[in-house]
This record gives sequence, structure tokens and C-alpha cells, in this order.
Amino acid sequence: MATDTSGRFDERDGSGLRVGLDLDDPKRLLRGVAGIVGFLGLWYLVSLTQPAYVLPSPAAVGTRFLEELGSGTMTAALASSVRHWLPGTVVGTGLGVGAGVAFSWSGFLDDLTAPLVRTLRPVPPLALIGFAIAWFGINDAGAAFIIAVGAFWINFYAAYGAVEGVSEDLLDVGWTLGVSGDLDMVRSVVLPAALPGITTGIRTGLGRCWMLVVAAEIFGVPGVGREILRASNNLLVDKVIAYILVLSLMYLLVDVAFRAVQRRVLIWQA
Amino acid sequence: MAGVNGKPAAVDADDDPGVVVDGVGKTYDGDGDPVRALEDVSFSVEAGEFVCLVGPSGCGKTTLFRVIAGLADATNGEVRLDGTRVTGPTTDMGVVFQEYHLFPWLTVEENVGFGLERSDRSADERAKRVDEMLELVGLTEFRGTYPKSLSGGMKQRVAIARALAVDPHLLLMDEPFGAVDAQTREMLQRELLDVWASTGKTVLFVTHDVAEAVTLADRIVVMAAEPGRVREVVDVDVDRPRERGDPAFGEHVARVRELIGARP
Repeated sequence: MATDTSGRFDERDGSGLRVGLDLDDPKRLLRGVAGIVGFLGLWYLVSLTQPAYVLPSPAAVGTRFLEELGSGTMTAALASSVRHWLPGTVVGTGLGVGAGVAFSWSGFLDDLTAPLVRTLRPVPPLALIGFAIAWFGINDAGAAFIIAVGAFWINFYAAYGAVEGVSEDLLDVGWTLGVSGDLDMVRSVVLPAALPGITTGIRTGLGRCWMLVVAAEIFGVPGVGREILRASNNLLVDKVIAYILVLSLMYLLVDVAFRAVQRRVLIWQA
Repeated sequence: MAGVNGKPAAVDADDDPGVVVDGVGKTYDGDGDPVRALEDVSFSVEAGEFVCLVGPSGCGKTTLFRVIAGLADATNGEVRLDGTRVTGPTTDMGVVFQEYHLFPWLTVEENVGFGLERSDRSADERAKRVDEMLELVGLTEFRGTYPKSLSGGMKQRVAIARALAVDPHLLLMDEPFGAVDAQTREMLQRELLDVWASTGKTVLFVTHDVAEAVTLADRIVVMAAEPGRVREVVDVDVDRPRERGDPAFGEHVARVRELIGARP
């Protein structure tokens, strides 16, 4: 059989990375489905040799998924997690992009904040749980805070780098065409020029924040993450996997939707 | 990261039309000894005149271009446009760069309209002006296209239209046709002369291509290197349109080449 690799590297998203779903390439889609089927087969075979608390079969996970869904537990957990994910992501992304653009554009702000940024950057969001509890309490806001911290740093660095990468030449053109000051320049030249980098950061952040849902709910706020942690403690591995699937599906949904938006916004790159 | 002096400078006096480059020097503080890029550069461009600036590589053409455009400060001397000292970028100069530098996220017409949006013209006047400019450079049918899909020659036409849209007193161009193929370059040169004839703009055109300078200019400012300075100003007394086969054309080219090649 001839191997046709043509068109393999031509499908690119705004970030230049070839990730995510490709619904418009049937061959690639077919291979993807084959990969999933193969993985399920392997999983099934291994699960035959293991007790359920080590590795349940795919069927057991499917059954558990439907049970949780049917009982309403899953939808309630998901709704709760969305209440953490959405505000956390929106606030963290907004502040991260804003700070990244401002600190990168303004030499003064950059000088002012650089040591602070380098000190705070290595702190994992999980390490801030104490602050989340102290400042917000064991509630939705506390969980959202953890997620916001994660979103902030991803977007901060993406926006900072994107603004740093804006060509000086475009700024020169802007000044010669009557751009009236820093605000006008940022709005009319810097932001649009940095948009590919900024949206790549947002997209990365959207995914990371679904991962952070587990961390954010570690201290007892209900949600998908909480269900996973509780099921782990009780060795209900089928339930753990069922809820991991929920996170994966949410990630996929958000990622596909955002990529569509990204393509639309960056149509000039196509 | 702001412009040289933060804000664009206003140039409104009209008593001494044209450009005067007066004793401009530029010294860079390198790691070791300071580098003198320009020394006591003086020349003028009359209103409506087409002047080319040529010189060997390293003679500071681009540095001088940036100083004139207000994008870099001179160490000594000053540049005056219509009698007013240039202290920063101004919309009284339309600046065209070698690598076009179109805004890739804007369509052709949005690029052309960029400077107009910052003028006090009404929306109707702006739209009309964009139409005129697109017509002038023959890109009306590409108005909705993004720069990515344009050829080099088309991009440079857009850049010229964008620079002219705000109706500057001076069109300042830095090797604008250096990045396109020879055929396109000749076409763009003819078009530029047409635009110059129809708009009556003052043009200062930097190039390293001597034949291009002789094709275009009323006068050629020939520079010498190390440090960058004016070697001589050559009048081009050849009727337009100029043919490369014309003996007078060849003589001018030879004269300018000799000046560039000659040791100080």
C-alpha cells in the first residue's frame, strides 16, 4: 500500500501548530478514529488481566458514565465546575493579557515589575490554596481564584512575548501616519500585530484551566475535580475515568469553538 | 518605545517651502569608540522637486533617512520642513520603506485609510480620498484584499498610496523599489514619476541604484562614506521621459558612479 503523506503539514491553525480536531480532512479524521478504536482495544485487553480498582474495562467506564449522567450527579458537578472555570478563565485571561501587553509595551512598568514577576512566576497555583481559602473561603470564588492564577500566567507570558515581537518597523509606520500616542499605538498597531500570539496564549490557557479544575476543587468545593478526587480515594477507578472524560470533552468543545473564533479573527493570516 | 520625542511634531509654517538638511551629524556610542555615521550633511530639496540620495553602502543613507523622517535624532544640526524644525514623525511627510511594512491585518483600503482616520476629515471625505488613492496606484479592484495575497510591486503601490493619502508636503522614500524584480521596478519608477507629475509633491528618494536615481531625479545628492557626508550634488539635465540608451543618460550614470567610487 502506498503511503500518502501529502497534505500532512499543510493544515495549520493560527498558532502554526497542528493540533486539535481536523474535521475537514477525511483521511486524517479516519486515522484519528482508528487510533481511538485501537486504544480502546488495547485498554480492553489489559483490563481483562487487572482488577477493576486497577483498570476497569472501557465498558465499565461507559456504564458508569451513563449512570452518573442519568442520576444528575454528573451534570450538577459539571455545572459547578463551569462556575469555577468560566469566571476564573475570563478574569485570569483578561488580567493576564492586559498586564502582559502593558508591561511589555511600557519600559517603565516592565522595569518596575520584572523582579516581582520572576519571583511570583514559579509559584504553582496549587500552592495558593491557602490564600484562596483565606481570601475567598471554601466556595466557588476560591476555586475560580486558583484557575484564574493559572490562566493569568499563561496569558501574561503569551501577550508579553507577542508584544515584544511586534515589528519596530510597523511602529515607525504608525508614527509617520499620525498615531497620536501610546494608547492609539497600542490599540491600532500593537494589539492587532500581537493578536496571533495573544490568541494562541488564550487557547493554551483555556485548555490548562480545565486541567486546573481538579486542583481548584481539591479543598472541598463540589465539581468534576472534586468527584475525581473523591472517587480516587475510594478506588472507584471507573468513576475517575468517567469524570476525566468529562473534562476532556469540555476541553475539546471549548478548543474547537475557540479555534473557529481564532480563524475568523485572524483571517488576514490565511 | 514611543517615537523619538513621543508625540508627532506639528509642521505648519510655510515661509520656506521644501526640505532643508542643515549640518546634520549623527554619532553612535558603540562599545568602543563612538561611530560617526553622518558628518555635517547639508543639502536642500525645493518644493515640488524630485531629489535622489545615492551613495556607497555604509554611507549612512538609511540613518539620514531616519533623521529626516523624525524617527531618529540627529547629534548635530537639524532638518527643516517648510521652515519648521522636524522634532519627530509628522504627517507632513509621507514615508515609504523598502520592505513596504503594510499592516497585515488591514485590507488594502484600510491600510490606505490608516492615516486618514487620524485626520480631521469627515467619513465621506476619507472614503473619497481612499478611492482617489486606490485609483492613483491602480489598485481599486484589490481594495478588499489583505497584503498577504499581494505581489511585492502591489504592496509597494499600497504603501505609496497610504503615504500619499494624508496629503503630505514631502514624500520620503527609502529604497522603495529595492525588493522587487527589475521589470516591476521599472514599471513602479514610471508610475512614481506619473504620481509625482500629477500631485506635484516634493520627493526625496533614497537609493543605491545609480541608474534609478538618474531615471527619476532632478538632482542627485551623492554621498561618501566613513563618515557619511555629501560628496557632491549632481543636476540631471536630461529631458523626461529618460531613456537608458540616451548618451546623456549614460554620462550622468558614469559621473555619479565615479563620484561614488572615488576615494576621498
